[in-house]
Parts: sequence; structure tokens; C-alpha cells
Amino acid sequence: MDWFFANASFVGGLALTHLSIVIVPIIVGSILAIVGARLVRVRWVPGTSAVLSAVYAIPSLALFVVLPALIGTPFIGPTNVIIALTVYAVASMFFSARDAFAQVPSSTKTTATALGMSRFQLFVHVELPMAVPGLISGLRVVSASTVSMAAIGAVVGVRNLGYLFLDGFQRRIPEEIGMGLLAVFVIAMAFDLGLWLLGRALTPWRTGGGHRA
Amino acid sequence: MLSIPDLVAWFADPVNGDGRYGLWFLLLEHVGITLAALLIATVVAVPVGLAIGHTGRGEFLVIGLGSISRAVPTMGLLFALVLLWGVQLRDFSLLVALAAIAIPPLLAGAYAGLTTIPWGIRDSAKAQGMTGFQRMRYVEFPLATSSIIGGLRIAFIQVVSTVVLAPLVGLGGLGFGVVQGLVLRNYSQVVASSLVIIVITILGSQLLGSLQRRTGDRL
Repeated sequence: MDWFFANASFVGGLALTHLSIVIVPIIVGSILAIVGARLVRVRWVPGTSAVLSAVYAIPSLALFVVLPALIGTPFIGPTNVIIALTVYAVASMFFSARDAFAQVPSSTKTTATALGMSRFQLFVHVELPMAVPGLISGLRVVSASTVSMAAIGAVVGVRNLGYLFLDGFQRRIPEEIGMGLLAVFVIAMAFDLGLWLLGRALTPWRTGGGHRA
Repeated sequence: MLSIPDLVAWFADPVNGDGRYGLWFLLLEHVGITLAALLIATVVAVPVGLAIGHTGRGEFLVIGLGSISRAVPTMGLLFALVLLWGVQLRDFSLLVALAAIAIPPLLAGAYAGLTTIPWGIRDSAKAQGMTGFQRMRYVEFPLATSSIIGGLRIAFIQVVSTVVLAPLVGLGGLGFGVVQGLVLRNYSQVVASSLVIIVITILGSQLLGSLQRRTGDRL
């Protein structure tokens, strides 16, 4: 613990960088995947799934390193890591979102259409709310994996919590590595708790009484 | 920028294929490490998962471990283990860190394999007077096989792409090409190594997927 108290502001700074790097992939990646899962036509689903599972098979370190060579982003800086993490978030969330939408009963959708809802209204007012439980569990997986995968970005020079692993390993400070593990874990669990609460707030009919008489 | 001809030239140059740090040796090493880690994880996780599904006790372990393990960065775990146990045991540290990411999906696969068997089947086996061991041997395990292989498939995908971290603690595998290429700014080497990893990931995942489907219709 002495190590932590002596370096608290340093760890805090790294944690802030870490947060700033994961927040975009989690939000943008999830929105892209959710909208994509709903918009992709049925006959394109096998192709899209095959491409996304291949994307998911790319080792993260390799993607971080290769992106500048592929799309011309700067070699240094967090851009590559943010783009790569977004790609992984889409690849993972697409499947959960597709399953979540598939679980919305077709009778419910037919009823909404019969009531005169447009396709957009159907999506916003019926499909999205009913898919919330499935979407939230997918988002919990995405947020935890993004937060922990971002640490590998330190190998390509991004100063986030992963830096504690590299530095602690090279200088043989076990406390530093332990602190890094703990900080990543706390951030991941904070996202998890936040998403769980969001899921409860968005589906008041599932929590069983209390809100309405 | 990276060009396709550069990549083809890299693959065609025998210098990159031969020797201790050539593509072929690294490929074998990568597959070997992956299989060893999966074997350790299977031996640990499958019996435990089956026992939890069989007795219905300890279910929190399956769910809890699943969500906790995702929040633990393997790189940090690996470095911590190497520092704790010493550099000489780093091969062992690597296998433990890899097994740690393979255990949760295997545990979940074995557990789900038993709990998703239609309830009447397990009850009728019990009503026939089968002992706990007989039920496991002749009813529950055969019906859970497909789900166990499904867990193994997820574990394989995660482990095979995480072995890439091995060179960070001085070990080999195809990650060597990624890390060395990063330092030398040799993008052909990075992309070539990654392509080989992607190919073995997809091949292995297809193989396990077809095994999973083939064992899936036992009812």
C-alpha cells in the first residue's frame, strides 16, 4: 500500500487516461452494433457474422500495431487503440444485439404495426425497450472486455493503466502491477454496476412492483 | 504503408520461415502453448462444472467467475505471476495465466450442458434407480458433450489470440513476430504473423464448431 500512497496522483492520472480511451469505443461501438444488428438485411446476416467473427479473431496487440500501416493513422497516440477497441466492441456487441432483437415476440411487433406505428416508431418504442435486458447483458460483456483489453495499448505507447504492468514488470515492483490489476478491475466493475442500474431504470416493469400501484 | 506485394514477398522469403524464430517453429510453438493451456483448463474446469451442474451447489461460482475474469487483464496477471514465481518458471506462469482465461467459459459450458438437459430426463434416470455415477456416465455427460465443446471453442478463441502476449515475458509463439515487428517497424512481419494467427483461430473454431454440432443431436 505504501507504493500506492506514494504514487496515488500518478495512478489517478493513468486511470483518467484509461477512462478517456475506453469511453468512446464502448459508446460508439455499442451504438453502431445495435443499429447495425437491426438494419442489416436477413440475407446479409451470415456474411456479416462471418466477417465479424474473423475480426474478433485478430489478436488485439496485432491490430493496435497494424492499424497505422492499414489506414494511415499516426503511429503514436491513442487513436489506433480507440479505433481497434471500437472494432472489437462492434464485433462482440453485434451478436448480443441480434439475439436481443430476435427475442422480441413477433406478436408484439405485429400488434404495434396494427396500431399504426411506423417502422421507426416500432424500433424506438417497442423493439428497443423490449430488447433492453439482452442489450444490457451484452453491454456488460463489452464494457468489461474493453476496459481490460485497453491495458494492452500500453505496449504501443499509450499511457493508460497498462503502463503500470510494463513499468512494474521492468522495474520489478509487484505492488505496481497489483495496483494496475485492482484499478482496471474497479473501473470494469463500476461500468458493470452502472449498466446494471441503467437496465433496471429502463425496464421498470421487470423489477416487480414498487413503482406503480 | 503496407502493401500486398511486400506481404507476399515476406512469406516467400525462406529467411522468415526457417530457424528458431522462423514462422514454422513459432507456429508449432503457438499451437503447443494453446493446447497445453486448454488441456490444463479442461482438466480443472470440466469436472468442477459437471459437479456444480450435477449437485446444483456452487452455481454462484460459474456466474461470478465469468464476469470477474473478463475484468482482469491477462497481461497484468501474466506479469504479476512471472514476478511472483520468478523468471525461470515463466513458462508455467504463462500456462496458468492462459488457463485462467480458458476456465470460465469451460466451466460455464460444462455447467450449462447439465442444466439445459430437459428436466424429465435427469429425473427419470434417477427414478430408474441409477446411482449418481451411473447418471453422470450414461445420461448427463453424453448429453452435455456438445455444450462442453462449445465452451472449449470460446476458450480456444480467447487463448489462441492471447498467446500473442508471450514474447512480452521472453517466450515465443507467433506473438514474437508481432512484438519484434512492432519494435523494428516491420509491418509485413506483424501482418504476416497476425494473418497466421487469424487463420489458425478460424480453422480451430470451425473444427470445434462442427464437433459441437455433430455431438448436439443425441436426443
